[in-house]
Amino acid sequence: MRKKQITQNLKDLKITDTVMSKIEKGEISMKPKIYFLAGSLFAGIGLAASIVASTFLIALFRFSLRTHGPMGEYRFQELVTNFPWWALILAIVGMVAGIKLLRKYDFSYKHNFLFVVALFIASIILAGFLVDMSGLNDVWFRQGPMRGVMQKYGQIQGAEFKRNRY
Amino acid sequence: MEKHDHYTDEELVELVRKQDTEMYRELVMRYEAKLIKYATYLIRDEHIAKDAVQESFIKAYVNLQSFDCKKKFSSWLYRIVHNETMNAVKKYKKEIPMAEHFEKADEGNIEEDFGTKEMQRRAHKCLESMPTLYAEPLVLYYMDDKSYEEISDVLRLPMGTVATRINRAKVIMKKICEKNK
Repeated sequence: MRKKQITQNLKDLKITDTVMSKIEKGEISMKPKIYFLAGSLFAGIGLAASIVASTFLIALFRFSLRTHGPMGEYRFQELVTNFPWWALILAIVGMVAGIKLLRKYDFSYKHNFLFVVALFIASIILAGFLVDMSGLNDVWFRQGPMRGVMQKYGQIQGAEFKRNRY
Repeated sequence: MEKHDHYTDEELVELVRKQDTEMYRELVMRYEAKLIKYATYLIRDEHIAKDAVQESFIKAYVNLQSFDCKKKFSSWLYRIVHNETMNAVKKYKKEIPMAEHFEKADEGNIEEDFGTKEMQRRAHKCLESMPTLYAEPLVLYYMDDKSYEEISDVLRLPMGTVATRINRAKVIMKKICEKNK
């Protein structure tokens, strides 16, 4: 009896007609494929950009730590004064944006997402350290598009080092 | 009306995309009843459930070009309905909260008990008192015959979590049914 009632109720449904009528009248239309392609493309570029930016900024962070010299007693003060905090903040913002974009991808829920996020952050920090250890930062200090940024911190730290020395 | 039973869902999607919009009627008809039942279990209000399902079919049509035909259309559609229904749950606060004593349920011989016909008949009634968190995977698994992988796609959860929730749902179900005896 109950089953019959359910079947009757389902027969009375008007969803199909409502949806089809909206389609036929042109009240709703499909978004073009290019819309989704552009969305995926921008998400991909955004993710790549956030990875590259975070890696570079982590490398700059380590470069700044490394170039502070042996003046131990002033080191902490100098570090706080001259440290490129904007780079660290931007690196974190880049990582957060990257994590948000990662969520968009299908594989993200098939694994433990916390593990994926931890791996993502660890990879960026490791990549940043590797960039600095490989000597790429020293090359950028002398040439390339990032020369200005690198020298700015190199010069500030150099000047501080001299002032503290004499 | 012409029958299109020989087409798979994904083939129908391809036809709809190629301007044969009438084929969308077949897709809506295939899933309408199932989805209303599914949404009603989640929100416990048939009218709101119907609205959520209708809105989901509209959203699915608008975003049809984003569907990857190598995947299962039903999982994609269920995901949209899940999102719409959860929005409605938040809006109307219809979700059944998790009672503490359900968490501490003893596992016992649940598999055997749950497999019996009598238990299945009572299950429908007990399901109405289940917290949404556990009722949903259980409905998908037992009522809609979805595999763990499909449930994982619908709920965007790792398969291990799906398995855990289903097992726990069975324990909670047993507790509820015993209480309702």
